[in-house]
Amino acid sequence: MTQAALRQAVEEGRCGERLWLYATYHCNLACVYCLTESHPGIRNRRHLPAQTMIGLAEEARELGFGSLGVTGGELFMLPDAAETLVELGSILPTVALTNGTLFTDRLLPRLEPLARVEAALQISLDSPDPARNDQLRGPENFAKVAEAIPRLVERGIDVRIATTVDDQSEEELGRLCELHRTWGVTDDDHIVRGIVRRGRADLEGMGVEPGPTDILPELTITADGAFLHAFAPTVRNGVTDVDLLVSRQVTPLAGAVSRFLGVVADQPVGTDAAATFT
Amino acid sequence: MSRVRLLERDDAPLTARGFFRDDGSASPLTRSLVNAPDLLETFMPFLAQIYAPGSVDLATKELVIVRVSQLNACRYCLAAHRPVALAAGVPQEQVDAVCDEAPLAALPERERTLVEWVDRYVLDPGGMDDELVARALDHFRDDQLIELAVVAGVTQLLNHYCTAFAIPPPA
Repeated sequence: MTQAALRQAVEEGRCGERLWLYATYHCNLACVYCLTESHPGIRNRRHLPAQTMIGLAEEARELGFGSLGVTGGELFMLPDAAETLVELGSILPTVALTNGTLFTDRLLPRLEPLARVEAALQISLDSPDPARNDQLRGPENFAKVAEAIPRLVERGIDVRIATTVDDQSEEELGRLCELHRTWGVTDDDHIVRGIVRRGRADLEGMGVEPGPTDILPELTITADGAFLHAFAPTVRNGVTDVDLLVSRQVTPLAGAVSRFLGVVADQPVGTDAAATFT
Repeated sequence: MSRVRLLERDDAPLTARGFFRDDGSASPLTRSLVNAPDLLETFMPFLAQIYAPGSVDLATKELVIVRVSQLNACRYCLAAHRPVALAAGVPQEQVDAVCDEAPLAALPERERTLVEWVDRYVLDPGGMDDELVARALDHFRDDQLIELAVVAGVTQLLNHYCTAFAIPPPA
């Protein structure tokens, strides 16, 4: 029943076939446009335990979801992130969003099995200019990412780059593309997206407020509940926004999916304008 | 100051916005409960059924609600339900009596027995005795007494909720 309804909603363009998991709200960085106010000193780290994520992934596969996205916060703040990601990638094709700054010599070998499952690491990088990038993303971010990406690629791990656009020029983005090509990351694996005006970006007056059809609904599970899409579970002044909450209960997943489908059935069909590829 | 967020309609979960009135307003209690939208799907219809006229008339139910709220010193529920009780036809002197602002002895026998039964049910359920139940059953059928027990229980729940979370009484 839920499976057929999900398939129909995907076919009608009402929602995506990806299930997002917010692994944690904890992060080692404090990006100025962060949707979730994630930072090193966050009081309530709220994470999804590994077994919960794996259980959700298995149920998602049964319900007909086609892929997983894992985001946060920074996934690799969780001590068992590498093994969890390998497990998730063996269940459904998975892309994990990461800031790419925690890939130490100890962690890299644990990530090598990712090359044997359908999993990709999507690493954030906002500028080819170290100072400019680090202004947005934190000290030494550029250097760590520039070191990590080739080391991941040489291990056969699928790496993508995500650039969040504030006021970067075309020329600046062009140089960023030249740079990622030298690392072995193709243009097809470079995502450029605008800043969504929610969470900290809203408080900072950054980005663009999304319209009702600008973001394709994709069920997003966090420790706070299930949300309409991955830009929904934002945090302002330490409090999670619930305006796009669809369910507090996330297990069994079928219940959250059912409520999610009830919401998207009432919404106009839109396009996913939040992300484009270079 | 409420200890949980009181959400405006536009900040409330999509699935809970139907619990707001057409003009976008809602009681402070509802504005707090919408933080838990899954719960509301069953709780609100349940509450509506329990607090609506059933096998017991509305005035009698409101008398019970106000008395239980008085016993629990719930500012929110007293502010919300004293006017409802009056509107449902409970005489002012009976509302005053169950709020301990007039002697309980002045209540008619049916209401006096009901208040005695409610007080025991809320404050000392283990002390409930056959004699008091028998007197209550002189005025209410057993199914009516059950319904009143559920009304009292739900009111207890809301009293504790509103008091512990400091939900501000409705204006």
